Amino acid sequence: MKKILCLLLALTMVFALCACGGKGESPTADYVFLKEELGVETYAIGFRLGDEALAKQVSDAIKALVVDGTFDKIASKPEYADIKDFLCLKAEDFAGETLPERGSGDSSFTFKQGYDQDYPPYAYMLDDGTYGGFDIEVCKAVCEYLGWGYEGVPFAWDFKDQELNAKSCDCIWSGMTKEGREDKYTWGITYSNNTQGILVAADSDIETLDDLAGKVVGVQIGTSAAEMLEGDRKALADSFGELKTYETYNVAFNDLKAGAIDAIAIDMTTGAYLVSSAS
Amino acid sequence: MSMAWSTMLLKMGEGMLHTCAIFALTVLFSLPLGIIVMLLRRSRFKPVQWITKIYIAIMRGTPLMLQLLAWYFGPYYLFGASIRGYRFTAIIIGFTMNYAAYFAEIYRGGIEAIPKGQYEASHVLGYSKAQTFFKIILPQLIKTILPSITNEVITLVKDTSLAFALAYNEMFSIAKQIAAKETSFTPFIVAAVFYFVANYVVAFVMERIEKAFDYYK
Repeated sequence: MKKILCLLLALTMVFALCACGGKGESPTADYVFLKEELGVETYAIGFRLGDEALAKQVSDAIKALVVDGTFDKIASKPEYADIKDFLCLKAEDFAGETLPERGSGDSSFTFKQGYDQDYPPYAYMLDDGTYGGFDIEVCKAVCEYLGWGYEGVPFAWDFKDQELNAKSCDCIWSGMTKEGREDKYTWGITYSNNTQGILVAADSDIETLDDLAGKVVGVQIGTSAAEMLEGDRKALADSFGELKTYETYNVAFNDLKAGAIDAIAIDMTTGAYLVSSAS
Repeated sequence: MSMAWSTMLLKMGEGMLHTCAIFALTVLFSLPLGIIVMLLRRSRFKPVQWITKIYIAIMRGTPLMLQLLAWYFGPYYLFGASIRGYRFTAIIIGFTMNYAAYFAEIYRGGIEAIPKGQYEASHVLGYSKAQTFFKIILPQLIKTILPSITNEVITLVKDTSLAFALAYNEMFSIAKQIAAKETSFTPFIVAAVFYFVANYVVAFVMERIEKAFDYYK
């Protein structure tokens, strides 16, 4: 009897917490990016070193999709509103090029897209529980255009190189930054020009990068923002009171909301997604 | 939340099935494998004993997550073998080999806790070696080691979340994906409830088994 009572009490406690966590967010202050940027980065598709032919085939197919308007149709969906401005492919740039015809690929080939399974809005779990996102939609469109089969290979981002080298996928294609990795992959087309920034509460007194001295700044492990703060912007990172590393931006953003940290170093599209989905 | 509750619970329930698959197969394979490891560890032939000792030291001395990565990517990096479709097998091998080492040591502890007098007495009473083991030693052994086994099994339920490293969609990976999409903590709380209930069931079943072995009172 006592045991059952204990269990019930424990469950009540968990559900009580659940109720707080679910919807009880206080009327949030707005969040803004500092005007000063941390750095610029571009997103491209990474192939195994030496896979030039495949990289060119996929890149050319993307150009063809840009020319025939499919790319823009995907980019115009409301769920990609935050990243649309960063996309840098324009039909007029490919005017003179010879691009592959629809259905010109080898129909017995199955292209395996490797992607991070929790990197919205590029690749993530949709409302209906299936995988989708901008990069996945474009990749599927490429396969459809060339007549290839499509297979999605979700993986843990930390082990992307092992997955690629071990040939469990043909490419890494989910918002992967090219800068700093130029020599590690054979690169396909650069499709997004993204910028890293510092996200702070609108009512905070931080206005420039210098104001971050002595403050607590959060970043997600393994992201370009984190790499930037360990590399080119090390001096800036050293001026922080503390650089807190999180496993996901979700947790970092919760800490920012709760006032436990002062700022987040994040790419502007992901940051915009966090802010818009929280309000 | 823009994702419906029903979808979230359905997806996490699906993940729970994957978690249960890892759990059930690991228990199924590692409990018997533990006996073999224990016998090798107690072998009177020294080299076998040493090798088993090294195996146990590695299994217990390195993080399970690293072992999973080694089992999955190892065949490619060592032999250039294709690892397509090998993900789940690698996870089960990794968990089984790891848990067998722990179970082996629990069994060994149980056997060595049985006083020598028990063997001497059964020898005097004319029991054969096999009879001694199955009629005298084993019933006492099971009784002693059950609580330690329960501990390990409960740890296993929670350790299944390490399969995320190999991008296997067990429940915790799915919770993380939904949390990233919804920017919400709710999936983690649901995960906590799932784990708690699963472990309560495990503890309850193990308690019943312990009761069944509650003789000599």
